Order: sequence, then structure tokens, then C-alpha cells
Amino acid sequence: MPKDILYSVKNLTVEYKTRAGPVRAVDDVSFDIYRGEILGLVGESGCGKSTLGKAMMRLHTGPAEITGGELWFDERDLMTLSDREMTDLRGAEIGMVFQDPMTSLNPVQRIMEHLTETIQTHEPETSDADAESRAEELVERLGIRRERLSEYPHQMSGGMRQRVMISLALALNSKLVIADEPTTSLDVIVEYQFLDLLHELRDEFGLTIVLITHNIGVVAEIADRLAVMYAGKIVEIGDCFGCFGDPKHPYTQGLLRSVPNIKLDGEELYKMEGAPPNLLRPPSGCRFHPRCPFVMDICRTEEPAFKLVEGGDQITACWLYQETPVGPELSRA
Amino acid sequence: MTITKEEYPTPENEIASWEQDLDRVGFVRRALRARKWYGADWWFVAISMVMVAGFLIIAFFPDPFAPFGPNEIVGSSFLAPGETPPVPVLIVPQDSPVEELQDLAVPVGSERPAIAVEQGLPTSVALREQAQIIDDQLKDDPEELRLRVRIERYNTLEETLQAVVDEEVHAAVVQSTDFEVVKSQFPTLRASESIMGDTATAGGFLLGTNEIGQDVFSRLIWGAQVALLIGFSASIIALVIGVPLGLIASFVGGSLDRYLSLLMDSLYAFPGLILAIAITAILGPSIFNIIVAIAVVYIPTYYRIVRGQTFSVKAEVYVEAARSIGARRTEILRRYIFPNVIPSVAIIFSVNVADAILTGAGLSFLGLGLPPTIADWGIDLARGQRFIQTAWWMITFPGIAIMLVVLAFTLMGEGLMEIFNPKLRDR
Amino acid sequence: MSPIAIIALIIGIPALIGLIYILITGSTGLRRFVITRIGLTLPMVFILATLVFFIMRVLPGDPVTSALGPKGTPEIIERIREQLGLNDPILVQYGNFLKDMITLNFGNSLTGGHRPIVDEMSERFPATLELVIPASFLALSLGVIGGAWAASRRKRATDYGMRVYSVVIYSLPIFWLGLMLQLLFGVWLNWLPISGRIDPVIGTTLDRTTNIYTIDSIISGNWLALGSTLAHLVLPTVTLGLILSGVFVRLTRINVIETQHADYISAARARGIRERVLTYKHALKNAMIPVITLIGLQVAILLAGAVLTETVFSWPGMGRYLVERISSRDYTAVQSGIAVFALLVAVISLAVDIIYSLVDPRVRY
Repeated sequence: MPKDILYSVKNLTVEYKTRAGPVRAVDDVSFDIYRGEILGLVGESGCGKSTLGKAMMRLHTGPAEITGGELWFDERDLMTLSDREMTDLRGAEIGMVFQDPMTSLNPVQRIMEHLTETIQTHEPETSDADAESRAEELVERLGIRRERLSEYPHQMSGGMRQRVMISLALALNSKLVIADEPTTSLDVIVEYQFLDLLHELRDEFGLTIVLITHNIGVVAEIADRLAVMYAGKIVEIGDCFGCFGDPKHPYTQGLLRSVPNIKLDGEELYKMEGAPPNLLRPPSGCRFHPRCPFVMDICRTEEPAFKLVEGGDQITACWLYQETPVGPELSRA
Repeated sequence: MTITKEEYPTPENEIASWEQDLDRVGFVRRALRARKWYGADWWFVAISMVMVAGFLIIAFFPDPFAPFGPNEIVGSSFLAPGETPPVPVLIVPQDSPVEELQDLAVPVGSERPAIAVEQGLPTSVALREQAQIIDDQLKDDPEELRLRVRIERYNTLEETLQAVVDEEVHAAVVQSTDFEVVKSQFPTLRASESIMGDTATAGGFLLGTNEIGQDVFSRLIWGAQVALLIGFSASIIALVIGVPLGLIASFVGGSLDRYLSLLMDSLYAFPGLILAIAITAILGPSIFNIIVAIAVVYIPTYYRIVRGQTFSVKAEVYVEAARSIGARRTEILRRYIFPNVIPSVAIIFSVNVADAILTGAGLSFLGLGLPPTIADWGIDLARGQRFIQTAWWMITFPGIAIMLVVLAFTLMGEGLMEIFNPKLRDR
Repeated sequence: MSPIAIIALIIGIPALIGLIYILITGSTGLRRFVITRIGLTLPMVFILATLVFFIMRVLPGDPVTSALGPKGTPEIIERIREQLGLNDPILVQYGNFLKDMITLNFGNSLTGGHRPIVDEMSERFPATLELVIPASFLALSLGVIGGAWAASRRKRATDYGMRVYSVVIYSLPIFWLGLMLQLLFGVWLNWLPISGRIDPVIGTTLDRTTNIYTIDSIISGNWLALGSTLAHLVLPTVTLGLILSGVFVRLTRINVIETQHADYISAARARGIRERVLTYKHALKNAMIPVITLIGLQVAILLAGAVLTETVFSWPGMGRYLVERISSRDYTAVQSGIAVFALLVAVISLAVDIIYSLVDPRVRY
């Protein structure tokens, strides 16, 4: 794989079966993740980013189902793996950090046991003593004193629990960590420490991190690249500096303008027009068109391709940057 | 994570026409379309509702279903299902031209026909009755034949039959089964048809008869009334008392709530059957007392559920929000609490009826409570237990009846619960 | 030593040790919880006993008259009423009643030989224990395993099968199940006995110390008695245990399903823990916590079922004793019997609550 791509998502579609019909929470999404980078995946609530994150580990349950696409991780298409192979992969090569560390830890299990169980599930020959010492080393590197391992989850603070979650994700030296809204339940100071920790881990161990969040500020802090999702599709992806400095897609622009500036100067808070669409019956053409301040006729009928912007670094799906097809005979996608 | 229409307002023209239809369509259509969504649970509810409806129909209109009355004695005791009851038959010599009772009629003035019967059996009664019937018919007969039998009684079956052989009598009337037993001893005799003519019970009784000759099947049908009465009445009374108490307790709170809850918890924890036994024993045997006893047992159930639900709804943020904009208590009650509580109560009621029927049957099984003239499944089971060695049908069928009815109501409650409880539903 | 005393010791000593352990090692939270629970038990028993007392006195008609029947001349009736204190003002009666309950002075039975009620109960109570304990084990194991199995195969054949099983079992009248089992195994196949605790002839050879025949026969090495007792134990235990298992299957299934959707299960799955481990270890352990609290409530069902089972199988236990005594209007016996049941229920639910607090670490620390 060129340029050291660790994970490549190709045409992924995830559907939810609802009473009124199927809903595509993730619709034909493709993007790459490079080894050693921190990729921020942002979007409003309900845009599909959590679903995407879970789908990357094939972790979905219940009414959700991957109905199309390929997931190329380290030269293997995860879609072709058996359940058993997938289970082996989880926790060992790809790890996940969840939003609420309190509910993500088993209340009747000690922290130590969480770790040793993970280690011994993937490496059954490990003795109890070995597993325990490995666990101790691991948490100490993450700033938890080893004596605390014998405690139960409810005895720890939120920030500490989140560190435990990271340690669980890294217990077997995973190459990729997907963090789903990891700081949403933390207060600001703890959040800062947590993000710092993530940064260290990437620098020290070459860890690749996908950071899913609706908080742009967090992404601005530590991410290298940014991917913006809207209504089940990725509308823009690119280098952070590029995206923040010169956002291409109108939605990205609106998103960034919505962030309140501490130097308000009497300016009114910006609010984007409209609301995210109902994914049961998504808008025709470009999904953002009902809300787009730059909407053109073509936007209502044709969906733009996800292409590299001419003369820029970002990949975006917007007719503003693409040659619009001329004439009816060319409007077949 | 499902994205529902309510979360994101959409322009009218973007809502699909079929969606709009779905909302406008009547309940029945929606129920049928729900079948695909709810899967097997839909079947649970559907089947159980059919069963419940069937049971209610049988209970309200037993006559078309039950061939006999609940206390009617229809035949001999201990008839197995489908077993033909023994009938009195005419026994004559092999070469006799007599085929039926009527053939023994003779002209007025001739010697009256003599017929032997065994002492002390009901066959003589049957004989006399049938002879009388035939005689009355013959009165109009121009041939002037009459049937006035002379009944000769003998001590044993053998003597009775021997009398025919010895030509002391013209014929004998004995039970068909009795004759079968001793047939080999009397090779010169044969049995003609039953003297009774056309019997409605030629095919035997569907589920047999019990120890005093009542039809088991009819009693099953009639028993539904009692079960239904007890089940529904007890549950309704318990509901009418328990639900308001629960609401009051959770609204008023304080020490009233504490003491009432302590009382209710104690009652709830105590074995219901034993409590019901005690109350019935005190108040005496009658249907009303059984109903009261069972109702008392179930009041705490409604109380606890309603109180618990009310508390959890009251604690919800949206209720707090409503109060902060000035909603009055009654409004909160009506708009927020009722809609959340009613489904639970409905489910509890359904399961409750099932339980009440079970408890009622248990009580009558133990012999407490019902006057003996009422047909009831529990009593039938108790009576049947004494004859478990000989008459298996007496205990099998009433029990199946109880099970089916209780099953129907329980399934309905179970299915409703799966449907109403969204957490379990969407997964 | 009387059988009741022996049983009280067998149960009481471990309970006391456990209680002391908790009070010493537990956190303040736990200690407070346990003491509160014990404190609540007393009012519960108190209320039930009071209810029994007043209910029995509200009885229309004179209990002594109906108990004695035609044998009672006015003088005898009056004498017995005096003896029982039935002519005293009601509050005085109540006071004596409470005093008697506490000292376990149940008095004598009004019918059937006027034996001390304590003696009669000490024969019946172990019989009920011998039936109820194995039945509970059977119900619990069947129920928990069945429920967890159903939850692990959600929405597939096993799940629906288990749900149907638990609903059908729940709908079965327990006395009918007993009768059917008697019919099948006792009458038609003739494999097992259908009434009593032990063969009457063999029974005469058994030394009764605790009145729990299985234990007694092991103690005295009477293997014939052991065999007969076990044979007699099978059908009633299966009847009671099977019916109760329906409840547990349902409870366990629902709780495991609820637990399966918890975040920590998804998180564990994301770490590669296998599904089977997730269901049977993680989910089940957490699901058992609410199930344990509900076990306490099932005691009521257990005892009610015991009454009916004992009647069907002519098992001489407390349940049947109660029913008999009610039928013969034996006032004092009924009073004492219900009081004992109330005490039993209260104690068991207390024990269950304490076990619960031990299992759930959130309460402990």
C-alpha cells in the first residue's frame, strides 16, 4: 500500500433496519488512514460517525449491518475474515476507547482482571503472574499507580477510568485505536490531560488514532488530519491546517464559523440554516443542498464525486470545485 | 442508533406518501403490518388473543358447547373416553324369532310375557320404562297386541340367564357387558339389540364420565364460568383498590407512603395461596369469599407497580420541566404518568387473571370454598385424585383446561410486555 | 434434642458467623444496610402476626365450638375458652399472643389429640425442608442455565423455545403436574411411589433425630431407609422444582438480555473477548444481581407450591398441616402455623438481601 496506509475504507455502507425502512447511516464512504497519524472524524450528532467507527471494527450489533464495501486493514480485507478471526483481531490489533468509561467497565470486575482477561484471551499461554505484571507495567506507563489495580471501577475517578480504557485498548500493542467521543464525559482539565496522553502515545509508540468527536476544539488540539461527515457521507478530508485555514466544503465552513469565538465583540452567534436531513429519505443530489448558501441547480440533482480539489490538499465532495457535467446526456452517474 | 422522524423536522413534501398513509391507516392495518416487525412476538399475542376470545365465548355461552348440564348424571360411572356405556339387552334363546322387546307383544288375553332380571339392578327399571313406552304406542295399534311384561327377579346373573335356558321365562334383560363376560357359559343364548332403542350416547362420552356418572366434557365447559368469574372479579377488585392506592402513596409521599408500603410489602412477600386459604377459611366457603381472598392477595402487586412507575416517571426530567412551566398536578398525572403506567397495568392485569384462575383452582382443589353443586376444574381434580388408579381421564382433562386458559392469558401478557417495552424490542 | 432445635442450630450458627463477619469487615455502608434490613424484618413479622391474630378473631362463630363439634358441652366449651383466654379483653389477648409467639409457646392443638403444637410442627417442618431445599436447587440450576442459554441465542429457536417453556410451566397448575407425574411414573410405569415420605415398613426401622429422613438414614447407616426416602422424594421434588424453574428461566433471561446491551459488554467485545464468555461470565454475573433480589420473592411461590405439592403427594409437611388444621378449624394451630410461615418468609428475604449486598461490590464499598 502506497504511502504507508494502515487502514483503507472503500465504499463502506452501513444500514439500519427500521420499522419504516432501511436507513443508511454510512453511505458509500471511502477514505484512508495513514500509519502513525491522528485523524479527527467530526460531525453533528446523528451524522454516522459513531456507526462508522464501530463498523471499522465490525463491532455493530442489532439492527445495523454492513451492506457493502471493503475494509482494508494492513493488507487484509476485514470483510472477508471469519467471526473468530475478527474476534482475535479486536483488542490485539485494533482497539477501541468508548465514550463513557463508567459504563464501559464491568462493575463487578476488578481493574486488574479486566486487563489480565484481555491479555490471556489473546495470549492464552500467559501465566497469571506474567499477565499481572504486564498489566502493572502498562498502567504505570499511563500514569496509574499499580496499587489501584485491585479496585473496582466505581472507586476511580472519571479521568482515571478513561486511562484504564486506553490501557485496555493498548494491552496487546494494537496498531490502531479508535476513540469514540472519549472526552465527552470528562471535564475540561481532565480532557486536556487525556489528549496530552494520546499525543504522547502516538509520538512514543507510533500509534495510529482515529478520534471521533463532535467537538472541533479537541480535533484542533491534537489531530493531524480532519475528516468531516455529514448525513452519512464524508464531505471533506484533509490536513488540519489546510481545513481550518481554508475550508472548502460549505458545511465545513459553516461548522467552523459556528464555533464561538472568545473574542465575540458583540457579534451574533452564527447558526447554520436548516437541520440535518432524515436519512430515511435523504435529499436528492448533494445532501447538503437544502442548507447550502452556495447551492446551484446541479446540486439538487447530481451528487458530487469525492475528489481532490484542484490546486489544494483536501479531498471534498462539492460541485464548487468540480467541473459540472454539461447537458442531460452527461448526467448519468 | 435509529434516526426517527420526530428528531429532525422535514419539509412536508419530503415525507414519503407511504409513510403518511401508514400513520393515517386504522389500527387493524397497523396491527397486521406490525406482524413483520415484531416477528414471533406478534404471533404470541395473536394466538393468545384468539385463545382468550374462545375461552370467553365458551364461558359466556356454554350451552352450544356442552352436551349436558354440569350436574346431570348421564350414564354409568367411570366410563373411559369414548367407551360405550353398557346397555341393557334382551337375551333370548339362539333360535328365537324375537329380535327386540316389541316382538314379545301378545294379543290381549294371552299369557303375559315373562322376563327375567337380576335382583337389585337398574335394568329392571329400564325394562319397565321401555315396556311402558312400547305398550303406550301399541294402544293405537289395530292388531290389538299389548306388551305387559311380567318381571321375574333372580338373585344372580347366572340364575337369570339359566331361567331363559330352562324356559321359565321368555327372555331376560341384562347389561351388555355382563352378558359378554358369561357368554361362554350359555351357548344357547344370544343377545339382541339394546332395549332402549336409539340412545344418544351410543358413541360413548367424549372425555368419559366421573365417579358419579357426570360427563367430564360438559363439566369442563361449565367450569369455565367459575374460572372466568373468579379470575376477572378478583383481578378487577384488586386493580380498583391497588392502583389508586399506589398513585396516592406516590403522590402524597411521606409517612403514609412509608407505612402503606411496609404493609403492602409484607403482604406481597407472604405466600399468596396461604393467605387466600386463611381468608377463605375464616370467611367461609362461597364464591364471593374466594374472590375477596384472591383479590386481597393481588392488591399489593398493583400497588407496587403503580407506585414504582409513578416514582420513576416523576423523577424524569421531562416531568420536572413540565412542573417548571407551571403544569398542575392533575395535568402531570394525566399527560405523563397515566400513559406510562397504563401499559404496565394492562400487562399486569392479564397475567393477574391467569394467576387468579390458578389460585382459585388451587383453593378448590384443596377443598376450600366452593359449594358442591358448582362445576369447577379444581374440584374435579380433587375428586379425580381419589381414583387415579382407575380413571385417568378424570384428572387429565380438567388440568389441561386450566393450563390452556392460564396459558392464554399469560401469553397475552408476555407478548404485550415485549411489545410495550421498547428496550427489549429494538435490540 | 428436639428436631426444631437441631435445625435452628444448623441454620443459625453459620448465619450468625456470617453476620458477625459482615459487621466486622464490612464498610459502614454495608453495616448500615444489614442492620437496617434486620431492623425491617421485625416489623414485617410483627405486622403479619398481628394480621393473623386479628383475622382469626374476627371469625364469625366460635372457634372452640366448631373445633370441638358435638363433643362439646357448654361447660367444656366454657372451660376451654377460659383456658385459652378467649374471654379476656382483646388487648390482653393480643399481649399474651405476642408473648407466646416470642417464646415459641404455641399451646396445644384443639383437635386431633391435643398435642403440643410445637411437637406437631417439629415433625412437619423438617419434612417441608427436605422437600423445599432440593426443589429450589433444581429450579435455580434449571432456570439460570436455561435463561442464560436462551439469552445467548436471542431470537432464534432456542430463545423462543425457552420462553414457551417458561410460560407453559408457569401456566401449569402445580397440583396437576404432580397428579400427572403420579399417573405416569406411579400408576402406569410403576417406577416410583406416589405418596408419603418413606415406605411405612422401612420407616419403622429408622431412628429419627433431625426428622430429615435423608440425613437421619445416612447418620444411622440405614441404607434401605435412604433408598426408600430418596425414591419418595423424587416426584414431589421434580414437581415443585420444575414449576419454579419456569419463573427463574424467565427472570434470568430478561436480566441477561438487559445486561447484554450494557456498554461494558460492547467494550469487552471490542477487546476480543469471545461471545460465549461474554454471555455466561460477564453478562450472567451482572444479571444475577437483580435475580438474587427477586429470589427472595420467589420464596412466596415456593411455599405456596409446597402446600399444594404436599397435598397431592400426601407429604406430611407444614403446608399440609396448615390446610388440615384450617379445615378442622383448629384455631391455635392455624395461628401458630401462619406465624411460622411469616417468620420463615421474613428470615429468608433477609438472608437474600444480605447475600445480595455481598455480591454487588457497589454496595460493599
